Amino acid sequence: MDGSIYAGTLARYLLTSGMVALLCLGVYGLLKLLHAREETAAGYALITPWLAGFLVFTAGPILASLGLSFTSYDLFTAPKWVGLENYRWLFTDILDFWPSVKLTLAYAFLSVPLGVVGSLLVALLLSIDVRGIGTYRTVYYLPAVLPEVSVALLWRWIFNSEAGLLNVVCRPLFRLLGLGKPDWFGDPRFVLPAFVIMSIWGIFGINMVVFLAAIKNVPKVLYEAAEIDGAGPLAKFWSVTFPQISPVVLLQVIMGIIGALQIFTVAMFARPTSAAGRFMNQLVYERGFLQLKMGEASAIAWALFIIILGLTLLVFRSSSAWVYYEAEVRK
Amino acid sequence: MSGQAQAAILGSPSRARRRRRTAKLAVRLVSYLVVTAGAAVLLVPFFWMVSSSLKELKDVFAYPPAWLPIPPQWHNYLDAWRAVPFGRYLANTIFVTVLGMFAELTSCTLVAYGFARYSFPGRNALFFILLSTMMLPYHVTLIPTYMIWRNLGLLNTFDPLVLPAWTAWGPFYVFLLRQFFLGIPRDLEEAARIDGANVLQTFGHVMLPQIKPAILAVAVFAFRGYWNNFLGPLIYLNDMGKYTLTLGMYLFMGGVNEAPQWHWLMAMSTVLALPMLVTFFLAQRYFIEGISLTGLKG
Repeated sequence: MDGSIYAGTLARYLLTSGMVALLCLGVYGLLKLLHAREETAAGYALITPWLAGFLVFTAGPILASLGLSFTSYDLFTAPKWVGLENYRWLFTDILDFWPSVKLTLAYAFLSVPLGVVGSLLVALLLSIDVRGIGTYRTVYYLPAVLPEVSVALLWRWIFNSEAGLLNVVCRPLFRLLGLGKPDWFGDPRFVLPAFVIMSIWGIFGINMVVFLAAIKNVPKVLYEAAEIDGAGPLAKFWSVTFPQISPVVLLQVIMGIIGALQIFTVAMFARPTSAAGRFMNQLVYERGFLQLKMGEASAIAWALFIIILGLTLLVFRSSSAWVYYEAEVRK
Repeated sequence: MSGQAQAAILGSPSRARRRRRTAKLAVRLVSYLVVTAGAAVLLVPFFWMVSSSLKELKDVFAYPPAWLPIPPQWHNYLDAWRAVPFGRYLANTIFVTVLGMFAELTSCTLVAYGFARYSFPGRNALFFILLSTMMLPYHVTLIPTYMIWRNLGLLNTFDPLVLPAWTAWGPFYVFLLRQFFLGIPRDLEEAARIDGANVLQTFGHVMLPQIKPAILAVAVFAFRGYWNNFLGPLIYLNDMGKYTLTLGMYLFMGGVNEAPQWHWLMAMSTVLALPMLVTFFLAQRYFIEGISLTGLKG
């Protein structure tokens, strides 16, 4: 096996780029032909790649997966309509489904607030301009640089029941608490704290860097104005920094929720035992691609989708109260 | 309130200034201590990974654990690398990452520009739809998308991992880039448009230079995304010769009942992280500082 495994993909890659470009031009030409304004034609031409991708890879598949969730389908024989059977199974399945919903939600509710508030605090501390601060920023970002796979394996090793660093270092403490040697990824009591600790270590940097950039982007003039008004550090944070970076905070909270609920790769590599617990996406993969129960898998995926949708809309609803866009006010 | 004005109220000017300076110093000192302690805690797992990767398997489980691997077993890295065809997996990963990133950056920038700067009927509704796709769990579209590639006869190729990148696959990147475009004053573009520049000229000569730091930031995110993609390779690639590094690691980790070779796994985790570390150190300046320099502020 040599370069030949790449040639086909490369050819189709170039072909796809050409097709997308032609489609953009086509949309532009068509709209001009229909006497659309220049602004409209150009705008639609520019967003055409996304629009096409949305129809083919998102809208179509969403509808298809909703349809599949009402069927029994194993990839090889035609899907068989079973009505609400899959969902009834979900609601009555207390062995796999409900524990996974509970674990996934608990994980998001713990890791997102801790991650956002923690990284904002660190970003504020690291935003001061003193000598050597660059080194600190690098150190804090380091965990976020690691790939998820490395992070998961690293923590699985640290959480190792017998020889893991955590259990060895905390042996006296755990013995005092009567925990013995916690089997972090094999015990339902410890699997949640283990994943939260892991996520906070890993996500800190990414959030921190984005916050840091946002904080540095706040015009100095605003701070000077606040200082003239006699504002202390806390007042400066609440009346200048926070409103200015609030769009970024919103973005981080939403991305955090979406990311946390969709945890998959880390869980696959940390490999909690089925007794300890499974995240929803792991169930989707197992039902769908290992047991070939595509209908059941689609129903689980839809349940997760509805949970994400609900929580995100809730945060968006609240955002008008605390998010401030400068450009929109100016318009 | 200026220093003098405050001093006039509080008493002698030098005393007030000294007090303010001491308070500032104390705050700074406490900040330093907190930040240093946090940094130390963050670094321990990282250090432990590298340290474990350089130990012999029997020493990995030693009690009490040795912090430093003496002597360092450098051959662990070579042994682990050769245990599974990681060289091939590296080549596959680079192929997927380069193609994916290029297409993703190109398409996302254009789409973000369209959404940020052109007003057309339906724009807000479409952008709202784009935003809501961010909430869409990848797993919801997974099975039907898998069926599309199966019908095209392109399972077990790299196509499903890279071709969709041409369609501005990452709504998050579009969102981020649009935010940057919105932060740039319209004056420059309008000047260019009045001078008779068309869409692409305005974009290439006026906008692109301004959002370079943002593109670089998105490039770093996209690089991470493709390099670390696990679910895609997991379901689409069957031949072991086509595995990417992450999927290779999954194979290397062994089955549920196998005892993991922790020294090798830590060595490979370190290797997998290296390109991320190098990119970060190279791009750090642009990534962190550059983001704050966008717009006309400089």
